[in-house]
Amino acid sequence: MTTIHPDQLTAERLAGLSRGAGSPTPAPGTGDGTLIETPGVRPPLVLNNRSFKELTDIICGYVENPAPRWWFPIFAMAATIAGLAGALILYLVVTGIGTWGLNNQVDWAWDITNFVFWIGIGHAGTLISAILCLLKQKWRTAVNRSAEAMTIFAVICAATFPGIHVGRQWMAWMLFPIPNSNVIWPNFRSPLLWDVFAVSTYGTVSFLFWFMGMVPDFATLRDRADRRLRANPEGGAVLLPIVPIRIDRLRATIYGFLALGWRFSSRHWHRYEAAYLVLAGISTPLVLSVHSIVSFDFATSIMPGWHTTIFPPYFVAGAIFGGFAMVLLLLIPARELFPHMKDLITLRHIDNMAKILLATGMMVGFAYSMEFFIAWYSGNEYEVYAFKNRATGPYWWAYWTMITCNVVSPQLFWLRSMRTTPLVVFIVSIFVTIGMWFERFVIIVSSLHRSFLPAQWGMFHPTLIDIGIFVGSCGIFLTLFLLFLRFLPAFPIAEIKAVLPQASPHYGHENEPDGHGDVAAPAHGGHH
Amino acid sequence: MNDQCPTTLHGEKAKPGKDQLAVLRRGLPITGSTGSTGSTFSTGGAGTVNGLPVWRSFDELADTAEFREHLEKEFPHGALELQRAVEAGGESRRDFLKIMGGSLALAGVAAIPGCRQPDHKILTYSKDVPEDIVIGKPLFYATSFARPDGGAEGLLVETHEGRPTKIEGNPLHPINNGKASTWAIASIMSLYDPDRLKFPTYDNPARGKVEATWDDFRGWAGKHLAAYDAKQGEGLGFIVGKASSPSLEAAKVAVMKKYPKATWAWYAPTEQSAATEGSKIAFGRPMRESLALNKQTVNIILSLDRDFLYHESEELSNSRGFAKSREVWTTEDSMCRLYVVESGFSLTGGQADHRLRAAPSRIAGFAVELAKYMLTKTGGPAEKGLAAAVAGVSVPAGDDFGGGAGRRFLEECAMDLMRPENRGKALVLAGHNQPPQVHALCYAINAALESIGKCQFFQPLTEAEAADSMRQLADMSAKASKGEISTLIVVNANPVYDAPGDIDFGAAWKKIGATVTLSVGQTETAAASTWSLNGAHYLESWGDTRASDGTISPVQPMIAPLYDPAGARAILNEVELLNLIAGGDMNAKADAYEIIRNNWKAPLGSNFESKWRHALHDGLLAGTARKPEAPAVAFDKVAAAVAAMSLAGVPTDKSLDVSFVVGHVHDGRYGNTAWLQELPEVATRTVWDNPVLMSPRTAEALNLLPVGFSQKNPSGMYTKPKYPEAQLAELTIGGRKVTIPAWILPGMADNTLLLTFGHGREVCGRVGDGVGVNVYPLRTAAIASGGGRQARGATLAKGTGEYQIISKQNNWSMEGRTSIVRAIDLPAWKEHGNAVQDVVDSFYGTTKKINFAERLGELSHNPPILSIYENPYNKSDSEPGPDSEYSKGQQWAMTIDQTLCTGCGACTIACQSENNIAVVGKKETGKGREMSWIRVDRYFTGDFDNPQNMLHQPIACVHCENAPCEVVCPVNATVHGPEGINYMTYNRCIGTRYCANNCPYKVRRYNFFEYGKLEFNGDYMGKDMIDKIGDVMPGQGVGPSGSSAHNKININFIPPRLREKIKQIEQMQKNPDVTVRMRGVMEKCSYCIQRINQARIETKLNGLPGIPDGFFQSACQQACPSDAIVFGDMRDDKSKVHATKANARSYALLGYLNTRPRTSHMVRIMNPNPALCDAARKHSWKEPFHHDGHDGHDGHDGHDGVAPHSSEGEAGSPPNAPKAHTFFDSHKHTQDTGYAMSLKVLGGRAGA
Repeated sequence: MTTIHPDQLTAERLAGLSRGAGSPTPAPGTGDGTLIETPGVRPPLVLNNRSFKELTDIICGYVENPAPRWWFPIFAMAATIAGLAGALILYLVVTGIGTWGLNNQVDWAWDITNFVFWIGIGHAGTLISAILCLLKQKWRTAVNRSAEAMTIFAVICAATFPGIHVGRQWMAWMLFPIPNSNVIWPNFRSPLLWDVFAVSTYGTVSFLFWFMGMVPDFATLRDRADRRLRANPEGGAVLLPIVPIRIDRLRATIYGFLALGWRFSSRHWHRYEAAYLVLAGISTPLVLSVHSIVSFDFATSIMPGWHTTIFPPYFVAGAIFGGFAMVLLLLIPARELFPHMKDLITLRHIDNMAKILLATGMMVGFAYSMEFFIAWYSGNEYEVYAFKNRATGPYWWAYWTMITCNVVSPQLFWLRSMRTTPLVVFIVSIFVTIGMWFERFVIIVSSLHRSFLPAQWGMFHPTLIDIGIFVGSCGIFLTLFLLFLRFLPAFPIAEIKAVLPQASPHYGHENEPDGHGDVAAPAHGGHH
Repeated sequence: MNDQCPTTLHGEKAKPGKDQLAVLRRGLPITGSTGSTGSTFSTGGAGTVNGLPVWRSFDELADTAEFREHLEKEFPHGALELQRAVEAGGESRRDFLKIMGGSLALAGVAAIPGCRQPDHKILTYSKDVPEDIVIGKPLFYATSFARPDGGAEGLLVETHEGRPTKIEGNPLHPINNGKASTWAIASIMSLYDPDRLKFPTYDNPARGKVEATWDDFRGWAGKHLAAYDAKQGEGLGFIVGKASSPSLEAAKVAVMKKYPKATWAWYAPTEQSAATEGSKIAFGRPMRESLALNKQTVNIILSLDRDFLYHESEELSNSRGFAKSREVWTTEDSMCRLYVVESGFSLTGGQADHRLRAAPSRIAGFAVELAKYMLTKTGGPAEKGLAAAVAGVSVPAGDDFGGGAGRRFLEECAMDLMRPENRGKALVLAGHNQPPQVHALCYAINAALESIGKCQFFQPLTEAEAADSMRQLADMSAKASKGEISTLIVVNANPVYDAPGDIDFGAAWKKIGATVTLSVGQTETAAASTWSLNGAHYLESWGDTRASDGTISPVQPMIAPLYDPAGARAILNEVELLNLIAGGDMNAKADAYEIIRNNWKAPLGSNFESKWRHALHDGLLAGTARKPEAPAVAFDKVAAAVAAMSLAGVPTDKSLDVSFVVGHVHDGRYGNTAWLQELPEVATRTVWDNPVLMSPRTAEALNLLPVGFSQKNPSGMYTKPKYPEAQLAELTIGGRKVTIPAWILPGMADNTLLLTFGHGREVCGRVGDGVGVNVYPLRTAAIASGGGRQARGATLAKGTGEYQIISKQNNWSMEGRTSIVRAIDLPAWKEHGNAVQDVVDSFYGTTKKINFAERLGELSHNPPILSIYENPYNKSDSEPGPDSEYSKGQQWAMTIDQTLCTGCGACTIACQSENNIAVVGKKETGKGREMSWIRVDRYFTGDFDNPQNMLHQPIACVHCENAPCEVVCPVNATVHGPEGINYMTYNRCIGTRYCANNCPYKVRRYNFFEYGKLEFNGDYMGKDMIDKIGDVMPGQGVGPSGSSAHNKININFIPPRLREKIKQIEQMQKNPDVTVRMRGVMEKCSYCIQRINQARIETKLNGLPGIPDGFFQSACQQACPSDAIVFGDMRDDKSKVHATKANARSYALLGYLNTRPRTSHMVRIMNPNPALCDAARKHSWKEPFHHDGHDGHDGHDGHDGVAPHSSEGEAGSPPNAPKAHTFFDSHKHTQDTGYAMSLKVLGGRAGA
């Protein structure tokens, strides 16, 4: 006789997952995917008992179906803001860096703040893709594609800032080691140059990782378009009434091109799995290295408040913190707005990411306190002053905003009810995003504005151009993300199918409790 | 440049011979100069070379009749014929020289009949290169500069291909000694001022103002002045800007000879007339004091509101002498002691060993009390007589030099002055805002101290020098308002703007029928005149000057007048115009060259030509210095004058005292000189403004504290997103009212206001228009109130509105970071100066000895931070090892002596001129984007109301051996050279600004906009600012509503074609050896690399192994009047910088960062009177190394408990009032706790 552990039954009931015993196929789940943390008792990763075909339809539907009504106004708004960024950047290049609020005391402010902010955002994607992949965290499948996309877009935003923050933007190519007749190479001792390499490497690998993951899905989209074309050689939507190009023809062509000749053969899958693992392996150290190197911009300098050995781990923790907040910030509204997305991104995902927020938030909180301790412990009056000035100087409000947002607000996540309330998680994610922006602002501006010689103390006040370009970069980010949701497979179809109960070799063998299958994958059903 | 002027072809200029060229280097005395400069031009006619005829044009070759005629006319044969031609009223030598320059173009063209005015453009130096000119190598010519406050300076002007670019001091001139004042250096900018008057303007009664020519004026004046011939000049008036010039004085004689009944006024609104009047009382005749200061001659100086180191005619020699008397190299050296009693916080006050705040009107009382106290104890019967007279003068009570700390100050100071060893070496100096009686009394005290004839001398003044401008202007004004002046000729003066408020000159002016103004720049007077004439700048014309010691110097042109129509030499200078008027024929030639030569014939005597050339070469007429006299003081006269003096009580906040001072723009004439507008004022560091200054306490009482200011956080007002806001106030003196922003200055006497002359110009140019507020209406002409430079009974009421005050430095104090400007008292130096300390490097375990100065800083307890990089030039971690690059060749280094530095800013201006540094305007300065490569940081120490000291620290790039900037630059734009210089490669720089972030000294300057082209945001001030000023101060004529002048500020309003022209003019000032930086590029001090390289080329050509010490100077070093900056090769054992760097006072600023700066600063030594020091301060002399307190747990000292501030206060300068330090040093209380704890953890190794 089948014996089910009582805890499991409780868990299933609580999650609304209980089903009739002996049923060959599970009834559609009605829960939200969260469970008590009981070892061996895991909620399903996809709700509502979606079949393989349903999943394919849902995911491909985001691309193939007409865009939801809300999409166009939001996209128009985001694109306008992105256009504003372009216009302001043009103005900046034509007029000069003086259009920002910088001065001889504070030579970096919003420009590098934004750069570090966006680079930090970009961390979650690769962390989810690579590290969680290596750690066999199956829940990553629902969020990794969009997190990777977010990474790419964040890196694009980030890379903009070092490019435009230089005084002679048209000479920015000199940052690259281009052989030249003068045999003048870049200065390989400069952390800013390391940034160039770190960010470009990170951007490249992240892109490859992202793109490679999409190849099978592109093939799916291609094939679906192709099938529709064959089924209905005459009909189908056209791009525009006056442009008689059939959309499916376009899809077949473009996705076909992007699919790189993928044929779903076992050999392809074999190569794919291997390559994916290799890229995950390559990406993993990058997650740690990029923000460590970005932190070297500050850590290798001699300015009090910058010259701190704690920076690399502290920056990485902060980046993961900020990155996950951004993932949540994007996905929580998306799962509300897109049909069936809640089946894929469940409360379990949100819960997990909230836990990461809590953990990394505590890490940065620890780092903040250690900075103060070490400054005091060093006995160096300039160091002591730099940190005292952070908390009590003219920029105290920025510092305390940072503490409130980054250290205090994630403490809510000690409560599971908070972690599993999307609205709360969304709001905390906003706080964390604001806090992480302020963290960089505090590090950069509050350290620079009062350095060694009091005669040279000054202030930084942002101009409208400063603000406009930052807001504009958010617009670029959002525009790209909206385009991604609309035109690219937002979920890895095959990977999600692999975590479906149906994919389990034990599917259908529900009468053989082996205690180590997913709850939602009843341990019976035999091998298919 | 094809529009350069032909003046460089003038053979007449003092050009050093080739052998002298080798030694004539910047700032070096010309040794063995013979002045032999042969005539380098041919005197017309074709010569022969190797027997073949030399011709310059086809006409010449063809020898046509026209050409002959032309040649005869233009180039008479031989010098004698030239002379004859001059005597016959023909072409003068000057004409000849001018035309000579254009001969190539002229000879060919002028013969063509019907050709209109020939274009005098000259060709490039393609063929007939003048003998001494090597393209790309500057030439230096001597000239001189009449100081606007009397006296003169001898200058050397650097010219590049005929273009004067930089002004330096003449090393042979006794006043300059190779130095130059900020005004002299910046005067080059007024030559190239694009807003100069460019043509005469006639205010046609029918048609309004029309552009005219000088010929028009000559025609008008010939007829107009002829009417006065019969009346002997009755009704004719002259207001002539006072300038120390024999030729100008001779011109007056000539004019008065022709028009005996004319009225003449010498006029200088800010002259030091009270001193002259005082000398009349004391000596019976007008005399000017000159000080002979050095260590042997002077021990004690008491300044009674006298800023004798700054902005007065002898600032250079006084600064030099004062520095000599303060130099301290060994522990055996003595130094003079300076007491200052003053109302504001002056540059001299910043140097004081003891300083007492007193309202300006109370300082006379202080002098009287001092005399009472001293004279009874000293001197013979005459002094006793004075004492008796003074004893009767009652000083109103209510101030504390009746009994409190001020009295103690007075008595101890008096005792010091009277000490036997100080006999003849003690000086009391009266300020120029003090009444003549105080000056006379001070002279009498000096006589009693036997100092006159030892360190204080006097020279008689000429009539013009002694003239009291204010009285003469008042007379003129009175006559004019009675209608007795029908024609007024104003020469280089601006009375419409700067007449005192109690002379209603504006009303008088309107009653004058015809007014003629000669002026170089735009002035209010010129704008209001019937005829406004564009005068020649002193760098464009001939003249002469008399320095304050009597030395006569020539003024010779460096360039032809810039706005001379077609080279017609129409433009006249003041000497020429007055001589023309005196001559009677307005169409006659007027040539200052001949005038000067004629005037000099008598003093030069025989062998004139040779002596003349010699004088031009040397830049002075040898032997013309007046003999310093030591006249006897008429004590009885002084006694009578002092007894008649009315002394004021203490001012209250209802009846305020006012002192007027001269700022960087002087009396306003430098208003359009942007360098000076942007040079921060000494104490406030404000730029582009002249707010009324008062002590924080007075401002509080009047409710006029700056918006956002709090005593707790004096820098807090700078943290607002807006610029710091001053409150506008209504200042009323004697019924005359002005709206002016109120600002605070620590250390001022309470209930005292400080006003700066020269701002609030309305017709000045794009730079100076509407900058600040005109305070002349508030002053009087009364000599009794210090020549109108002092006022009593002023009221200041809160006005409506706020105003932006911009400062180059936003923080007032050192925040307790005592190791930045290290300062210590002389006794501590004497006791510990030679002591060295072993410092163990806890990392390497090595031991290093650090000197006295380093013991005062972090290195005494903190080993240098290690760099992760190996320095490619400097393999060892400490001293350059034998194999390092730094131990080879020449290694450049600089020291800045903070004892000698007065903070005058000459270095900043000289650097700006040498290195083409842009000004950024008020708005950009307010954002913290100033461009000055060398800046002077100013710190107050002690109480905010009554600071102990004002410390100055000049900082430029210190050229770190381990430069933090170099490591972080991603594109290798800033790199190190083998000679220890941190290079900045502009064309490599992309402007990441990372270097500036990582610079602990914050000396890097970034071109946020295209500052070099002046087109940043279209203007200097920013439209929003102008609008704002206009809104709140419409009455001041500074807004669009008040004056149309502001329309000219925005360069965008100027048509592009004209704008291009303006830029050309401005570009002419630029030093061609230094790149003009573009936007987006970082820049900073280069140690004047262009000068190093020039010197290197010179010495290489001469086969020298290296550049000898003193062969060249950096621009800042060259300008520093007190020689505080020393630059040179530190590996050269004989170099001065080698000695100064090795001196125990030398320390590396922030040296613990292991940046190893090549520029080191030297500890400031102060020489307080022990009797005025409290126990804590005296204790600190025994234990000066306050950082010893850190390892106090070793038990070797416990003085922290005894004197808390000696461990927290200024190194070696603990305050008299211990409580006073809490304000500035509050955060220091706890900062060392962590360090102490870490020492315990580490077992005390780090500080061992």
